[in-house]
Amino acid sequence: MTDALVSLRGIVKHFGELVAIHDATLDIKPGEVHALVGENGAGKSTLMNILYGLLPPTSGAVVLRGKPVSFGGPAEAIAAGIGMVHQHFKLAPSFTVAENIILGAEPALSGGRLDLRTAERDTGDLSQRFGLDLDPRAIVSTLPVGLRQRVEILKALYRQAEILILDEPTAVLTPQETAELFITMRSLAKSGRSVVFITHKLREVLAVSDRISVMRQGRIVSTLDNSEVTADQIASLMVGRTVLLRVAKTEAKPRGGPTLEISNLSVSGDRGTPAVEDLSLTVRPGEIVGLAGVQGNGQDELVESIAGIRRSTAGRIAICGTVPTVGDPVASRRAGLAYVPADRAHVGLSLQSSIWENMAVGHLSAFRKGPFLAAAAARRRCRELIKRFDIRGAGEMTPAGALSGGNQQKVQLARELTRDARLIIAEQPSQGVDIGAIESIHRLLVAMRDEGRAVFVISADLDELMSLCDRLLVIYRGRIVGDIAAADADVEEIGRLMGGSNTDDQAPTRQEAHA
Amino acid sequence: MTDRAAPRPHPVLPRLLRAVGPPLFALVVSFGLGGLLMAVLGKNPFTVYAVLLVGSLSGWPNLAVTLQLTTPLIFTGLAVAIAFRSGIWNIGVEGQMLMGALAAGIVGYAAPLPDWAMVPACLLAALAGGAAWAAIPALLRAYIGVNELVLCLMLNPIALLLTGYVSARVLKAPGPTNKLPDVVDAARLANFSLYSQLNTGIFIALACCALMALFNNGTVRGFEWKLIGLNARFANYGGIRVRRNVIGVMLVSGAIGGLAGAEQVLGVYGAFYDNFSPGYGFDGIAVAMLANSSPIGVLFSAFLFGALNSGSSVLQMELGISKYLVQVLQFIVVLILAARFTFSWRGWRRPLVASAPAVTLPMTLPAEQGTTEA
Repeated sequence: MTDALVSLRGIVKHFGELVAIHDATLDIKPGEVHALVGENGAGKSTLMNILYGLLPPTSGAVVLRGKPVSFGGPAEAIAAGIGMVHQHFKLAPSFTVAENIILGAEPALSGGRLDLRTAERDTGDLSQRFGLDLDPRAIVSTLPVGLRQRVEILKALYRQAEILILDEPTAVLTPQETAELFITMRSLAKSGRSVVFITHKLREVLAVSDRISVMRQGRIVSTLDNSEVTADQIASLMVGRTVLLRVAKTEAKPRGGPTLEISNLSVSGDRGTPAVEDLSLTVRPGEIVGLAGVQGNGQDELVESIAGIRRSTAGRIAICGTVPTVGDPVASRRAGLAYVPADRAHVGLSLQSSIWENMAVGHLSAFRKGPFLAAAAARRRCRELIKRFDIRGAGEMTPAGALSGGNQQKVQLARELTRDARLIIAEQPSQGVDIGAIESIHRLLVAMRDEGRAVFVISADLDELMSLCDRLLVIYRGRIVGDIAAADADVEEIGRLMGGSNTDDQAPTRQEAHA
Repeated sequence: MTDRAAPRPHPVLPRLLRAVGPPLFALVVSFGLGGLLMAVLGKNPFTVYAVLLVGSLSGWPNLAVTLQLTTPLIFTGLAVAIAFRSGIWNIGVEGQMLMGALAAGIVGYAAPLPDWAMVPACLLAALAGGAAWAAIPALLRAYIGVNELVLCLMLNPIALLLTGYVSARVLKAPGPTNKLPDVVDAARLANFSLYSQLNTGIFIALACCALMALFNNGTVRGFEWKLIGLNARFANYGGIRVRRNVIGVMLVSGAIGGLAGAEQVLGVYGAFYDNFSPGYGFDGIAVAMLANSSPIGVLFSAFLFGALNSGSSVLQMELGISKYLVQVLQFIVVLILAARFTFSWRGWRRPLVASAPAVTLPMTLPAEQGTTEA
């Protein structure tokens, strides 16, 4: 394997008793886009953190250009030509693009003065050379996410990176921004650099990569050429069995008046700026409605105000015909809401509490005997739900924080879906959940729909929404800019709406007949 | 019990060890450091600790003093612990105790009640006094978001000066001392030791701890209060009325703090004296921390600090070591426990080791939060 730019040979990594990486071997060739795919927790990020010098391997070797190396930290890896763009950007928001790019490798004039002019010139040259259009003097906090990502990439290129690791780079991008990123990735590969692309979105893997390595439970199970495989095959390799990528469901039969009816709602964000403006939508019994949009376009504020966690400033929310008190979660729940929040660690669960305690919340009236808590009954019910929802690796006394993401999600679902609520709001239901569990979560939501409940799903993953939902709403800057039956949905079209084109001058397109 | 193959991860013994381990560790370290300090001062630490031990525990006279000093610490420790458990820093127990003491002192000499009603009336007054003083930070915190920590701290000297004014001017008893008139005999808590001011107040303290233990572990409200302490956003999301409950926690905490004052007035001094407290309210913070906010733990840690305090006067008499040495020990304990607070706060974001690694490995890395697979 002399043609590899960098090789990971027999890498093993333990965290205490936990074996995160078993004997992983991976070759990255010069000039290729190499996708590293796997479920959450398969070890992709851990393996790349070892390559980037953030973690020392327990055993095994990193071989760079034929020579074994051992990095004491990211600084040494960067010096050796390895760059990494993390999922959460590490930029100074109040600095300019140029300042961010040179930070830590500043060109200096005599006497330790900063040579900002050279910095800006170099930044400009670099961005032109790679076709990454950026103003070196723009303040980073004013840039959209897609451009901030470019700053991160340029930052690595400025440090002469030969190998660029991108950790889930598309999670925060619109389809158009993703397409632009892919062009950049291809041009980097063409210039002889190697790009490692960590992801779990299979469509993207096939669109951009030359070779694909699949990780499962800390092992590289297979490395394949792009031309050899299909998405279904990759998914099966990731999970170790055959997976249905499309959700099996019959046609929706929405019936009766709306379960959730929002009219002219306005909500402010954390900084007091309007996050949701004059927004109206309805969800009817027996349908799954999805809310698509780039993160940060008012989805969080909208959902929080439906759940009564955030106060709206104007407009009306009706759940099952009643209008709960504004900003009162108890009232929203009484009106018939079950809410599965995205932020499991801070909102949806108490990670230090046991599973039974987490499951008892919201059901306390059922376990009340006078002033006393019928803990034995709550534990018994918890044991039943653990079985029914197939929550693995736990008893009722296990703290919720000891569960994997998928099982934590199942705890939330078990608690909320057994609430006999007419309206179910599921926010990022598959975030941090492995593919096997996603399947069963989707089946549960479809079953809820078929029982005649109204299901409202908010997700950053457009593929998920398109396969799960019956109807799609697109949110952009706090307004609904599209309302499309999922059967007619077209990714291009939705992507354009998510990116905010043809909005201001055009009224929301209402293709549904229920007006 | 479950019939699943997964091992039960929390058998009783390790759970007990985990609860008792950190406080014991803090004690061992602080006694070690204290010993070092004594060695530097030229005293044999073993002699000093032996004197402390004998002086506080050997024989009924010493033990009676220890128990007398333990009683107020049980009340104040319990008061702080109730708030801690719900994530509220009520460090205003000193002030709440003073207000409770003043209320008990006034009712105890001035209320025209039949004898049998005097003690209950005084206790009720103390509960109300402490709760009322705690209501100030509670309401300001709940309705306009003022930080309760700062507010409680500021209210302590205000309570001291206010009660001082009342006992030195408004209701001052004749004579040279700044105090209220003595409470009537019927309002006294019976003293049952010749050697100290140990009184029946200690049984009230024990009963309070038992009741709170039952409340914490058995009632729906106790469950809700714990949840608010662990994750207030989750509690709010789950339909628990956080604001209302936080006020409730503060009122109960303040009321128990007020009882500490009543025990001092009705049991120890027989009247409200200006500036009577050597800082029981503040010591309560250390007691609650060492007890990890458990009402039963409070009994043990209050007894420990009570013993240290009573042993310290013997220390001064026999070895000429300042009684403040004992305070140094207490402060080290608090420092170590406070360090542990932040340590565990950081630590619990790491992977809590999966009980069944075969399923899915949680792979949140301590070094690099940003790179985790969200």
